[in-house]
Amino acid sequence: MRIRTGLWVLLAAVFAGLLAFGTLREGGPSTQQERIESVSRRLACPTCQGESIYVSRAPAAESIRAEIARQVAGGQRSDDEIIAYIETRFGGRVLLVPRATGLDALVWALPVAVFVASSAMLGIAFARWRRRDEETPSSADRRLVERALEEPT
Amino acid sequence: MNRRIAPFVASFVGVVVLALLWVLVTAEPATPDDAYSPLVGQPAPAVVTTTIDDDTFDLSRRKGSWVVLNFFNSTCVPCINEHDELVAFATAQSGLANPAELYTVVNDDSDVAVRDFFTRNGGGWPKLRDANGAVAVAFGVARVPETWVIDPNGVVRLRITGELSAGLLDGQLESLRMAFGQ
Repeated sequence: MRIRTGLWVLLAAVFAGLLAFGTLREGGPSTQQERIESVSRRLACPTCQGESIYVSRAPAAESIRAEIARQVAGGQRSDDEIIAYIETRFGGRVLLVPRATGLDALVWALPVAVFVASSAMLGIAFARWRRRDEETPSSADRRLVERALEEPT
Repeated sequence: MNRRIAPFVASFVGVVVLALLWVLVTAEPATPDDAYSPLVGQPAPAVVTTTIDDDTFDLSRRKGSWVVLNFFNSTCVPCINEHDELVAFATAQSGLANPAELYTVVNDDSDVAVRDFFTRNGGGWPKLRDANGAVAVAFGVARVPETWVIDPNGVVRLRITGELSAGLLDGQLESLRMAFGQ
């Protein structure tokens, strides 16, 4: 029992560690071209259906890509600031990755809330099933079984 | 035990459904031709470029006059359709004491094609180059034609997406003059 608990704790620690590593690691692009591509992948072409600025060859997408390149070369704005600039011009429909603020944050928060709630409910259910399994039979239960065994088949 | 948990589960599902309904009710309508722009009421973006006749143009130096920017491409059908409206608008403005200045912003088109178009169809106002679509992006123009009106203080007052209908630009500009003066 103690070993099993230890394994669960170890598993949780590894999960938390990987989560922290994935969240905090320095994975940002370094060169200008990588920055342009990274920003372009996060923006939707305003005149296409479901294509990113990176993929699309529409004139509007090419203009936005050129603007991203200009701003990256200028070195004045971060990737998020460039995306915010494009959003102020074309509106929220150009965002391929939803914002983490306002109502858009529901897109991020709801799956986590559902996961946490589901895990909690599963945990409660498993605990209840285990308790039920561990219940010892009462004397009335034993008498019932004994009578059943004594009856001729 | 199930009866005790059921209300919590039902409440949770209810909250999620209500949240989704709230998102649907408050979401901006997905109308790509919506003339709304966050720029309306804000200072116009900086525009420094040249005309197809190689004159310099700086939007910030046009303060004091109403400025109309018409984003245009010589192969775009609605642009061709609305051209007579623009010619009539420019003619009407030329008779006023304080006429609005009309500029064509060339979108993804060559100087030669634009020059040919205006030679054939009239329109003596300046045509601005837009290298790499910088002006279009600054105004959030994804499709042409689009028409923007900027007041004498350099504030964006109106965005019209798509083809201009008869008298629309004159009427809108008149309303803006009455609302904001000059």
